[in-house]
Formats: sequence, C-alpha cells, structure tokens
Amino acid sequence: MSLTQAVFILLGGMAVLGALGMVTLRNLFHSALAMILALFSIAGIYVLLEAEFLAVVQVLVYVGAIAMLILFGIMLTRDIVGRASAVRNRQWPLALAVSAGLLAVLAVALVRAAWPLATYAPAQGGVADLGLALMGPYALPFEVASVLLLVAMVGALIIAREARE
Amino acid sequence: MSVPVYGYVALSGLLFLIGAIGVLVRRNVLVILMCVELMLNAANLALLAFGSAHQSLDGQVTVLMVMAVAAAEVAVGLALIVTLFRHQGATDVDEVSLLKG
Amino acid sequence: MLPTLSVLNLNGAVPQIAVAGAGMLIMLIDALFHRGSRRWAAYLALLGLAVALARVVESGASAETILDGALARDGLGMAFALVLIVAAALSVLVAMDYLRREEHERAEYYALILFATAGGLAMAMANDLVAVFIGLETLSISLYVLSAFFTGDAASREAALKYLLLGAFASAFFLYGIALLYGASGTTRLVEMGTAIRLAGTQADPLLWGGVALIIVGVGFKLALVPFHSWAPDVYQGAPTSVTAFMSVASKVAAFAALVRLLVVVLAPAAPLTSALLALLAVLTMTVGNILALAQDEVKRLLAYSSIAQAGYILVAAVAGEVGAAAVLFYLLGYAFTNLGAFAVVLAWSRRGEGRLPFSDLAGLGFRRPWTAAALSLFLLSLTGMPLTVGFVGKLYLFGAAVQAGWTWLAIVAVLNSVVSAFYYLRLVVIMYMREAEMPLALQRAGLALGVALAVCAAGVILLGLVPGVALDWARQAVAVVLS
Repeated sequence: MSLTQAVFILLGGMAVLGALGMVTLRNLFHSALAMILALFSIAGIYVLLEAEFLAVVQVLVYVGAIAMLILFGIMLTRDIVGRASAVRNRQWPLALAVSAGLLAVLAVALVRAAWPLATYAPAQGGVADLGLALMGPYALPFEVASVLLLVAMVGALIIAREARE
Repeated sequence: MSVPVYGYVALSGLLFLIGAIGVLVRRNVLVILMCVELMLNAANLALLAFGSAHQSLDGQVTVLMVMAVAAAEVAVGLALIVTLFRHQGATDVDEVSLLKG
Repeated sequence: MLPTLSVLNLNGAVPQIAVAGAGMLIMLIDALFHRGSRRWAAYLALLGLAVALARVVESGASAETILDGALARDGLGMAFALVLIVAAALSVLVAMDYLRREEHERAEYYALILFATAGGLAMAMANDLVAVFIGLETLSISLYVLSAFFTGDAASREAALKYLLLGAFASAFFLYGIALLYGASGTTRLVEMGTAIRLAGTQADPLLWGGVALIIVGVGFKLALVPFHSWAPDVYQGAPTSVTAFMSVASKVAAFAALVRLLVVVLAPAAPLTSALLALLAVLTMTVGNILALAQDEVKRLLAYSSIAQAGYILVAAVAGEVGAAAVLFYLLGYAFTNLGAFAVVLAWSRRGEGRLPFSDLAGLGFRRPWTAAALSLFLLSLTGMPLTVGFVGKLYLFGAAVQAGWTWLAIVAVLNSVVSAFYYLRLVVIMYMREAEMPLALQRAGLALGVALAVCAAGVILLGLVPGVALDWARQAVAVVLS
C-alpha cells in the first residue's frame, strides 16, 4: 500500500466518521462539530485529487463560512447544552426504503460501470486554467452564479428585516 | 500506487447516502440543513474524481459553482430558521411537518 | 490565449442580461431614492421584460451556440424563453395592486421576480448542465425568499422553510445526477454529452442510468410530481397569492424546458428507460393530484392540487420525447394564461390580510361580480379541457402526441383523469352561480393593472382556443430547430 492510499483511507475514514456523527449525535453542537470534521477531511481528499485550489476554497467557504453560520444558527435558536434533538422520527420506514433504493442505484453504478481510466492521472492545469475556464466556456454559469449570490444576500436581508419588525 | 477513481466515487456515494438518510430521519431543521450540505459535498467529490479521470477541468469549475449555491442556500435557510424560531420557538421539523402533503 | 468577451458574443444573451439588469437597477434606485410608492419598480420590471421579449421575438431561431457553447439560441430555447417572459410580465401586473392592498409594496419584490426569471431563462436556453443547475438554483432561491415575503405571516414563513429544505434536498439529487452523467460522458455540454452517449452505446452503462434516475428525481421535486409533491400544497397555500401564481407557472415552464432539452438532445438513445420512468410518474401525478383535489374546500389549495395534476398531463407528452415537444410548449403557453388568470381572480376576491379563499366565499359572486366570475369560469373550463378554450386544444395535442408515439394506454388514463377533474373545476362554477351567499364577502375594488392582466389572460385563453393554428405552427417550427 502506497502512502497516497494510506492517506486516502485515513481521510475517507475520518469523513465517514464525521458524517455518521453528524447524523447520529443528539446534541446539535456536537453534530455541527462532526460536520466540520467531515468537511475538513473532504478538503484533504481534494488535495489528493490535486485540486489544491478547491481544497483551500473548501476550507474557506465550508468550514470558515457555512459551518460558522450554522453554529451561529444553533446558538441563536437554543442554548448549546440545551435539550437534545431526537435522532429518529416517524418517517424511518420511508427513509429505509428510499435509502435502500439509493444504495442499490449507486452500488450497481459503481460495480458495473466501465471506468474511463482505472487509475488516477493528474488533471491538467492549476488556478490559472481554472480562471480562464471561468472567463471562457463557463462565463455564463459564472455570471448567473453572481446573480444567485445577490439574490441570497437580498433574500436574507428581507427575511431578517421581517424578524426585527 | 495511487487510489483508483472508483475508490473516490465509492466514498462519495457513501457520504451522499449518509446525508440522505440524515435528511429523512432527523427532525431538527438545522441538522437537516447540515445533511443537505454533506450531500452537496459528496457530489463535489464525485465531480472532482470524474474530472481527474477524464483529465478535464469541468469538474473543478462545477465544484466552485456548487460552493456558491451551498453558501446561498445556507444563508437564506438560516435567516428563515432564526426568524421562525423567534416567532414560534421551535426548530423541530415535526412542527414544520416536512413530508405531510 | 486569453479569452475575450466581445459585444457580439454577449448579443445572444440579451434576454438574460436585460431581465437581470432591470432587477439590479431596481435595487439600486430603491436604495438611493426610496420614498413613496413603488409603482415605478413594477414599470421598470415590465420594461426590462419587454426588452427581453422584443429581443427573443426579433432575433429568431438558429441552431447555433454563443458564449463558447454555453447558451443555445435554437428555437426550443427561444420559444420556452418567450413563454417564461410572458408569464413573468403577467405576474408583475397581477402583483401590483395586491402588494399595495396588503401593505407589502416593496421594490425588492419585482427585483426578485426578475432574478427568478433570469435564472429560468438560463435554464431554458442553456446548453450546459452546470448552467442548468445554476439557473435552477437562482430560480429556486428567489422563490424561497418570495414565499416568505409577507411579514408576520407564520404560515408563509413555515411554507418557505419547508420549500427550502425539500428544494435543497432535491438539488443535491440533481447535482449527483449531473456528476454521474459527467462521469459517463466526460463533458457537461449537453450536445457533446449526447454525442458521447450515442457513440458509447447505452446498453450497459450504469453511470448513465444512475445519473438519469437521480436527475429525474431532482426535476420531479421541482415540478411537484407525485411522489415528490408533498411540499406543493402547503407552499402554494402559505405563500402570498401573487407569488403562488408566478411560481405555479414559471417553475413549470423552466423545468419542462430543461427536461425536454435533456430528453431530446442527450437522452434520446436512452428513450426506452426514460419513457417508462416518466410514464409511471405521469400516471401517479395525474391520478393522485386529481383525487386529492376532489377533497379540498379552499380555492388556493384546490388550485395547488390541480397544478400537480396539470404537470402530470404535460408529462404525458414529454414521455413521447421529440414528438411531444411542440405539444408541451403549446400547452405551457396556454397554461400560463389560464393558471395566472385563475390565481388573479383568487387574489382579487380573497379577504385583506388573508390568503385563503374558502368555497363558501364564492357563493353568489357570479352575479355580484359578473365580469370577474365569467373570467374565472372561463379559466376553470379551460383547465378542465372544454372545447373552444385553449385547454381543449392543448390537451388534444398533448394526448395526441402520446398516441402517435405508441403510448395509447397512457393517453386513455389521461383522458379519464380529465373527466375526474371536471367534477372539482365545475363545482366552483356551480357554487358561484347557483348558491346564495350566507355572509356576503366584502369585496375590494380590483385595480387597473389586475384588470389588464385578467383581460390579457382571458383573451389568450379564448384566442388560442378558437384559432390555435398560428400558435401551433409556431410551436412546431420552434421545436424543429434544436441544437444537436
């Protein structure tokens, strides 16, 4: 087993552990911390895939902004040590069925797929190529994404203003 | 020896599944929002893995876009959750009755 | 080599730019001089939409791409864009008096409608799955915010949160579907994806099947197809009525535009699987939507279930793939006039500060408000599919496409469902004209803008019903020019 494989297994294990913790822990705050563990591990895996820029963005956006927002949300809506949230609801039979279906689809896709290249080969380009792609073939989604962010900003303000009134 | 592409995709599928189960079984809206974020992350991982398999940048660009989408969803979602809590004092989905038509 | 964004390059994206630009201008002017009435914002929004509409009509269809292949200027995209712009303009007209009456007149409302429309336009014309996804999210997030637009209304906030959580859940499925299709084909451009799939042969690639299934789940949520419909009744009822009107039409037009393009351009080789899947969804959606609609006693919720069922009818033609594309387009044009008109009447009649309109409030209105009642009757007859209205021609065309493609049993199920739907649509007409009011409703005066919107909708329903030829030809020619 090479070093890359060992690191992948370690990071993948941490990501799954974090994800499981997020879903199963009763305390909301612990749940959020487990999510941060999962997001950090995924950033590490991005480095393995030689997407270093995205690894940095992942840490900045997900861990830095989104996770912090969620922590603020938790603190604003209940005290941290407050009552725990139930882990199971009445929908669990439905959840079981949906998850089993999803598992089947993904498993079949995984096992039977004709893999384009069996092993990983480094993708070309770094940040510069990414920037060129955003200004060239992906100019349209890039511009629409800026409208999307404007909508989110305006929307959050409208909703929050309603709260103050 | 490096990690084969299907290793990454298998991990991403597992994370996606855990996230989906979380959305369906948990009652707290904040945890549901976190689970959706995990699902988006799982999709990102698959996009990057396929991107490196095809040696193209499309996967990376898509992931950047998804991050913008995730941030926007969380911003609006949290604004709604905090407002709802201030007025009703409840963040459990049972009171929002998510899947009842 | 550095990429260049020339003016020529952006020319084809004028509809999107005009609509989003008008939205930004509204935000800017409102921030700088925010005093008094916000009527100007509505006029500015209409101006932006008019520029976009003029651009779409004048530029005509050509099977070429712009912006490095990201945007298709073909007939399919332009035609769906046209329907979407018309629907957005009618929604602005419908909202003007309503917002003032409810004391929530804000410039942001019109800006958000425009941003949602820009997202929908990107979806309708995109030749790239990433662009479709971003457009879908722009449309959806604008709608989440609009659903929660009214202050102090707990139902509206709760509905918006439910919409957001289930919408985000659906987006994750859609995105994972994109990832799998990208894995199967190595590109996100739709045309190249279609070529790659055709060359590779589709018999055995599970990545393709998985991707298709997940994308259909994602689109199914957005279209409120059964069994992904649970959010729709609450959100339709909880959201401000003017938002419900916009949402029920705009998100359907945009999502069907993307679905039709996906079916025709990318998934044509996989047609046996996708058709079977969509046929199953169509049967479930029509039947469940209609049966649940029978049990309602409130007009807004009834229209929510009715629009679930309507999505089922449209899906019947989508099952037929390329053959049904023109029928989908024509029906959506008629549906835009019909549904927006019906919601406009609900909004004119509902009590101030209350979104609900119980059946009992309708009693006797047939004679107290003859014009509006006649308009509502017309819209309900069209939704049922009565002859001489656009609903009849549209359904004939939808189900005819299914028969032509060999789905005769599906067309029969759809016709039976239409018969069932007549019960609840006509019941409203009966209540309006045959029953005496126990407690007469204190009616508001309908404003001029609402009157104009109602007149346009009614004229659309009648004209498209009496002389459908021109519009049918237009739809057929439009979908014939598809980028591929």
